Amino acid sequence: MKDWAFGLTMTVMGMGVTFITLYLLTLLIRLLIRLFPRKEEEESKG
Amino acid sequence: MDVFISALSSLVQGFASLTWQSAIMVLLGCVLLYLGVARKFEPLLLVPIGFGVILGNLPLAGLSTHDEGGIMNLLYTSGILTQLFPCLMFLGLGAMIDFGPMLGNPRVLIFGAAGQFGIFLTLLLALQLGFVRQEAVSIAIIGACDGPTAIYVTTKYARELLPAVSIAAYSYMSLVPIIQPPIMRALTTKKERAILMEPGEKKVSQRVKILFPLVTGIVTILIAPMGAPLMGMLMLGNFMRESGVLERLVDVSESTLTNIVTLFLGLCIGASMLGGNFLRWQTILVFILGLVAIALDTVTGVLLGKLMMVITKGKINPLIGAAGTSAFPMSARVVQKEGQKANPRSFLLFHAVGANAGGQIGSVMAAAVMLAIMSGMGIAPLP
Repeated sequence: MKDWAFGLTMTVMGMGVTFITLYLLTLLIRLLIRLFPRKEEEESKG
Repeated sequence: MDVFISALSSLVQGFASLTWQSAIMVLLGCVLLYLGVARKFEPLLLVPIGFGVILGNLPLAGLSTHDEGGIMNLLYTSGILTQLFPCLMFLGLGAMIDFGPMLGNPRVLIFGAAGQFGIFLTLLLALQLGFVRQEAVSIAIIGACDGPTAIYVTTKYARELLPAVSIAAYSYMSLVPIIQPPIMRALTTKKERAILMEPGEKKVSQRVKILFPLVTGIVTILIAPMGAPLMGMLMLGNFMRESGVLERLVDVSESTLTNIVTLFLGLCIGASMLGGNFLRWQTILVFILGLVAIALDTVTGVLLGKLMMVITKGKINPLIGAAGTSAFPMSARVVQKEGQKANPRSFLLFHAVGANAGGQIGSVMAAAVMLAIMSGMGIAPLP
């Protein structure tokens, strides 16, 4: 494989997977927040 | 008389063995000490590195990382080549980081991905400049703005570049307040920089804070197992912090352990900077490419910030994007400062810290994906 093709593969795959993973994490965080909402006692504690 | 002469010659042997490269490196070590002590420029790192450079380059001292059986060689082989030091640094980092601001506003996590784009663009550039793939990957990772990650990747693929890459990574991390602002100002108008974002921290429950490192660790390691040591330690440190039952361990991890590892890491990096392998054109190229990588991270981060500003109809200040690098918490502070310059009522710190924490995860992910692709292409790491 030529260096140019190697670099492009790395860029597309690398950025693609990083973006998708972090997007997936945002969805998981939203899910966790929905499953475990902040309770009143936590609100009063600050 | 013969005994006197041989005794005298053994005493001057050190001076006689001093090469011009070693002498320059000793001077460089002194400059680093001066910067650390007199100028207070990252003293925690520059003092051990500077002293390590001096010790490693003094002839016949046996204190370079290449001198088998020496103390520096022992630290280098047991702490750097085994990846122990970068991983312990991440344990301490995890214990220090509060992911709360990011959890309160999860959309900023995506900036952590944009802040890694410079890594890949620099990789293309390094390949075009003639570096072999393993070297190009190691140089590009300077763009992660993250010393331990840079050391982790470079140790696997291009150990001869380790001194240059680690020095560049740590130096540019501390130079973020100088590198980022001109780029941020060039890519945004004053009106854009003055955008006010919703103030205040949206707090999440403690259960979410405890579960986040666990879920993130599992998901990211399943996606890119090559980054497991770093991500695993980062998330372990954060889990200990948020669990609330391991105060003593958290205290040790974020202070004593991190300080000891920083000392040993600095000494090892310094003692590996030998005149013969450091004083060459390649080192200058590594420094230039590292700077390009961090500048490009900022460019792509701010550009994504502008895109998000358009999508959200002006609810996001594009400066937040610059905090997507993992220079934690320097980038977030820079964003806050630039935002307040444009609009004194602006308070971007909370959002920027969230993006910055996302950058920490993003940089490890980017490194892990690179390692996975290299492995998939049959480019094996060094034994």
